[in-house]
Amino acid sequence: MASKKRDGMRGAVDLSVDIGGMRLKNPVMTASGTFGYGIEFADYMDLKGLGAVVVKGLSLKPRAGNPPPRIVETPCGMLNSIGLQNIGVEAFVRDKLPLLRGLRVSVIANIFGEDVDEYSEVARILDGVRGISGVEINISCPNVKKGGIAFGTDPSEARRVVSAVRKATTLPIITKLSPNVGDIGTMVRAVEDGGTDAISLINTITAMAIDIERKTSKLSQPTGGLSGPAIKPIAVRMVWEAYRTARVPVIGIGGIMTADDAIEFMIAGAAAIQVGTANFVNPRTAMDVVEGIERYMKRHGIRKVGELTGSLKV
Amino acid sequence: MARIVHNYPVAPGCYRMGLSPGVDRVEPGQFVMIRIPGGLDPLLRRPFSVYNVLRGRGGGIEIVYKVVGRGTGMMASLGVGDEVDVLGPLGRGFPMPGKKERVVMVAGGVGVASLHLLAKRIGYGTLLFGGRNRRDARLAGDFRDLMEVKIVTEDGSMGRKGFVTEFVEEEIGEEGTVVYACGPSAMLEKVSCIAMDRGVRCYVSLEGMMACGMGVCLGCAVKADGAYRMVCSDGPVFRCDEIDWQGMDG
Ligand SMILES: Cc1cc2nc3c(=O)[nH]c(=O)nc-3n(C[C@H](O)[C@H](O)[C@H](O)COP(=O)(O)OP(=O)(O)OC[C@H]3O[C@@H](n4cnc5c(N)ncnc54)[C@H](O)[C@@H]3O)c2cc1C
Ligand SMILES: Cc1cc2nc3c(=O)[nH]c(=O)nc-3n(C[C@H](O)[C@H](O)[C@H](O)COP(=O)(O)O)c2cc1C
Ligand code: FES
Repeated sequence: MASKKRDGMRGAVDLSVDIGGMRLKNPVMTASGTFGYGIEFADYMDLKGLGAVVVKGLSLKPRAGNPPPRIVETPCGMLNSIGLQNIGVEAFVRDKLPLLRGLRVSVIANIFGEDVDEYSEVARILDGVRGISGVEINISCPNVKKGGIAFGTDPSEARRVVSAVRKATTLPIITKLSPNVGDIGTMVRAVEDGGTDAISLINTITAMAIDIERKTSKLSQPTGGLSGPAIKPIAVRMVWEAYRTARVPVIGIGGIMTADDAIEFMIAGAAAIQVGTANFVNPRTAMDVVEGIERYMKRHGIRKVGELTGSLKV
Repeated sequence: MARIVHNYPVAPGCYRMGLSPGVDRVEPGQFVMIRIPGGLDPLLRRPFSVYNVLRGRGGGIEIVYKVVGRGTGMMASLGVGDEVDVLGPLGRGFPMPGKKERVVMVAGGVGVASLHLLAKRIGYGTLLFGGRNRRDARLAGDFRDLMEVKIVTEDGSMGRKGFVTEFVEEEIGEEGTVVYACGPSAMLEKVSCIAMDRGVRCYVSLEGMMACGMGVCLGCAVKADGAYRMVCSDGPVFRCDEIDWQGMDG
């Protein structure tokens, strides 16, 4: 037994996971807005080696996004204020999805809207479309009818969005939570009540960077969303908190650069993870994470990757 | 991973770095994204024009860069044999001139780096180079074998005194000229205005804050033809009349 532990495990390990009814090859996905429409990365890796690709957030109509500057680097991270620029759900289905289908990877559509109706309309359009495995609802989006306060910071609005999407689609639903809240447990319960099949977190943390010479924001907007390794410890803590409340699977996101980072999230309670900003640094990161998790499992004698989830010793 | 084969100063604050192996099929005006491996800060890659393509033994590329901050500061401290991570070539480069067209290149400072491969490919024309002083003008040295070089310095220590944009008009006087420009955005805007006034074809290579360099983060937006286009994947080279100069930052 001792020698087996030293040599690690021979033979196959099982990386597959079931996330709210989605059967995925492995727990590694790419985070929305950091992987384009997926196709752009086909030169760098075989996409079908990934658990799933989550595409750039889709709205009903195309959106132009914010003026530049839209990004600024900060210590171990970056701020962005892209402004949810996207080609719109119909152009995505018509122009991008056929190419993605050819790459034989599970595709999750990240969706958002300015009001509840827009969310449910986008979900309805995607329902039954061949090549979509699920939707991820981005609730970190300003609610135009409620004076621009994000849906994701108001539990009753968040529940309303999720239940509207639930009625509009038969696809598995992931609800992506904002970290910009006091108590994540309340949000978890709200979106579970709305009928979500899984939750993912965290989205970017609202943050600022100021040019002291000009006394202006370094972005065209006053604030932006912080991502990258700088947010990882916060994200791990929030995943752990969410896991303790949640009945549905939790997907961990935030600053994952390596397999070790991904494993940390899984131990905290994540059933799967998403790689975001790291895709910009090295377009092959997500594949490297898959391979690294597999090596870790062999080294630790773990047969099913799910055994890692929530294995934190307290 | 690419190995540094040389990394030496060429002008005040500017270095020339050779990297091997190189990258495949570079077009003039394309760029690479470089990262010093190991740390998480700075996190993002830094974009640099491909200055030159090296032949022989595994091939290679050269970049010419100016130290302006942390990333470039770290690059300047690297030595021969150190490794950096190179992604590319990326972006769309300069189109070649028409058969009978006169060629005028306008460069501001280290902006000249994005024009060098093009100058080598074309092999004739005029370079109007603007720098602060005669030492900056060393950046234009390699162009002397390729084309006519005219220097403008802010302190008048070499060539004509003033800003390069003051001399663009007389240079592109004739019809049937194509202008290629790279430098600070204020300079590019002036060059573009002059070219548009004269009805002369003009291409500019833009800069922008970049995270991915491959068109996926949507961070490097520039307003062109009424919509946001990406400097990294739709550019960095644009036709000057596509750009909405009013919407440009600084
Ligand atoms: C397509 C493209 C090609 C380029 N080619 C060259 C080249 O051949 N030679 C060269 O010296 N430089 C080039 N640049 C600019 C170069 O990328 C920046 O100077 C470099 O990223 C600064 O990194 P840093 O860490 O030293 O500076 P930082 O510490 O990040 O910043 C210092 C200053 O540089 C500015 N800056 C940072 N990143 C950029 C950027 N991507 N573009 C413009 N300004 C920036 C910041 O606003 C700040 O004022 C190019 C930029 C682009 C977009
Ligand atoms: C440039 C950029 C664009 C993003 N766009 C979206 C988006 O459209 N929808 C969304 O739900 N999240 C978006 N995100 C958030 C990421 O998916 C992710 O939740 C966040 O960046 C934290 O993970 P990371 O630190 O690994 O990047 C974006 C992030 C970045 C950096
Ligand atoms: S740098 Fe990411 S889109 Fe241009």
